[in-house]
Amino acid sequence: MLMCRDLAEIASDYIDGELNGPRSLSVKMHLMICKDCRTFIGNLRASSNLLSAHSSGKADEEFLRRIDERVAEALSVRKNKGSDSE
Amino acid sequence: MDGKPMNNTVQPESEASLIEDLKQGDSTAYQKAVREFSPGMLAVARFYLDHSSAEEIVQDCWVTVIDAVQKFEGRSGLKTWLHRIVANRCKNRLRTANREIATDFSETLEPELANRFNSKGRWDLPPKLQFHDSADRLMENGALSDCLDKHLSALPETQRSALMLYEAHQHKSDDVCNILDVSASNLRVLLHRARQKIFLMVETFQETGEC
Repeated sequence: MLMCRDLAEIASDYIDGELNGPRSLSVKMHLMICKDCRTFIGNLRASSNLLSAHSSGKADEEFLRRIDERVAEALSVRKNKGSDSE
Repeated sequence: MDGKPMNNTVQPESEASLIEDLKQGDSTAYQKAVREFSPGMLAVARFYLDHSSAEEIVQDCWVTVIDAVQKFEGRSGLKTWLHRIVANRCKNRLRTANREIATDFSETLEPELANRFNSKGRWDLPPKLQFHDSADRLMENGALSDCLDKHLSALPETQRSALMLYEAHQHKSDDVCNILDVSASNLRVLLHRARQKIFLMVETFQETGEC
């Protein structure tokens, strides 16, 4: 029988739909009778959604500017090469 | 796979036009792409390398992209393609330096969570509160957002990169495994350990208001 600790170990697999049929079913049956695990799964799912909602698009502007400079330099070299060969 | 929420990434039609502009060497398109894709590229590089080497690799990759994009046929998305370029460069650098990533995949539960079960495997200290608010509502709380940033930076690089690529950059598991060169089962461990840490952080924050 699946215990709460077993469920906690595979909780992310359950949330992501990575468990096979029988294993997923045993989690569902456990959740029907265990309020604490229902709260745990709900909170872990909320944590996962929180991460998705949290902006990942932050990068240091100075770092981005350095990339812009390197790219501009490389584009200019490429353009000059192109015009030399014409 | 459960439906993951969509984020504001470049859509397929605009991606095709962005790729065409990159092929033409349009500097504005490069600036847009650098801002859109560099955070993810840095997350990939940080899986393998220290911060300064990772930044260096990402810069080098963008220079490589100028020529490489001419041959890009779009068999994968632009994001996946860029992330693979970064991963390959990092792996080459590690090979040259003869270094390997040391990661512990043996434990699936965080010790702080594992200690909350009794010897019979039942909860001794169950979660007390339910996270009622939606993710978007929770993120409106600036203090929680700052706390999340703090905890994300404290995660081991391997866990953070896996989490960022999967949750924030919306890669599929197969892509993450390929980019980070980890097996599917090890990716599951990385993701689960990282999510538990965030779960524990939000729980503490909701209970005490402290980070």
